[in-house]
Amino acid sequence: MREEYLLAALRMGAGADPVPEGVSAAARAVFGLRVPGGVPAGPVDLPVPPGTRSSAEAGTAQTETAQAGAVQTGVRRFSADGLVIDIETAVTGGRMEVAGQVSPLPGPDARIEVRTPHIAKVRVPSGSGHFAVAGLPPGWVSVVCHRPGHPPVFTRWIHVRP
Amino acid sequence: MPTDNSFATIDQAAWEDLVARFDGRMWAVARAFGLSAADAADAVQGAWLRLVENAGAIRDPERIGAWLVTTTRHEAARLSRKARGEVVSDLDVPDTTLPDPTAAVVDADFGRQVWRRLDLLGEPCRSLIRLYVLHPEARYAQIAVRLDLPVGSIGPTRARCMARLRALVEEENR
Repeated sequence: MREEYLLAALRMGAGADPVPEGVSAAARAVFGLRVPGGVPAGPVDLPVPPGTRSSAEAGTAQTETAQAGAVQTGVRRFSADGLVIDIETAVTGGRMEVAGQVSPLPGPDARIEVRTPHIAKVRVPSGSGHFAVAGLPPGWVSVVCHRPGHPPVFTRWIHVRP
Repeated sequence: MPTDNSFATIDQAAWEDLVARFDGRMWAVARAFGLSAADAADAVQGAWLRLVENAGAIRDPERIGAWLVTTTRHEAARLSRKARGEVVSDLDVPDTTLPDPTAAVVDADFGRQVWRRLDLLGEPCRSLIRLYVLHPEARYAQIAVRLDLPVGSIGPTRARCMARLRALVEEENR
């Protein structure tokens, strides 16, 4: 039996530290974040850049850019249904920025939706497949690629905090 | 709750029923990792998001509760390591087919049973665990003052007391 489970049961048995209503409301709202008919894009390793010790470090290493006052995380790559979505996130001044690229080019009518549990912003990818969104609240974020004639492809939710 | 083993078809009412049944347990597990309220909220929300993104892979709706608690523990452990400055991947999730069966103990009725076993422990275990359980935000220094113990002894004593309590509970449930 895990100690955390024992401690959790003790707190529940005593009615101590009950779940805040805001947490329950957020949980109920997650239902609206489903992507019906969507295809989940799982993480894939990025090619190892020269001089990097491992692809895992390349994919998840966090680099603090103190000079800019920002905390920047590495590029994450997701893939499904023949589509690759690269995402890079940063938190600056308490707001999250998300930039990325879809490849191969998804077509002129494609849309990129960058979602947090609180807000979603839609972008038309550039001619090279790039997209960017700023001013999001830090926390959980996911990217959905909508292409006419294809099911939407959505990335795993990733957690971004300063 | 769907009966055709197709969790992907769950509706809003069934989802809200899941939240009502399990969010308290998920919160308690996240807080048991010593997370702040904000981090615990992120861990719980993360577990629900994992459920949404894995809905198509859930084959046994009866085990969703254990899966949610297991996934919350996973997210809480990851956030706890991150808070300590460790570099952790945010992309690994537990196997959706293997929820932790011991997660079933995260339950108020079971907790009340454990409280009765706690009374069998002597001091300082009884008071220390009581303080630690009832005051999640309490620091070791505050507990040390309340119990008149050296602050450096609180962590090891707590671990020893929890191990004794766990042994008592496991013996009773054997």
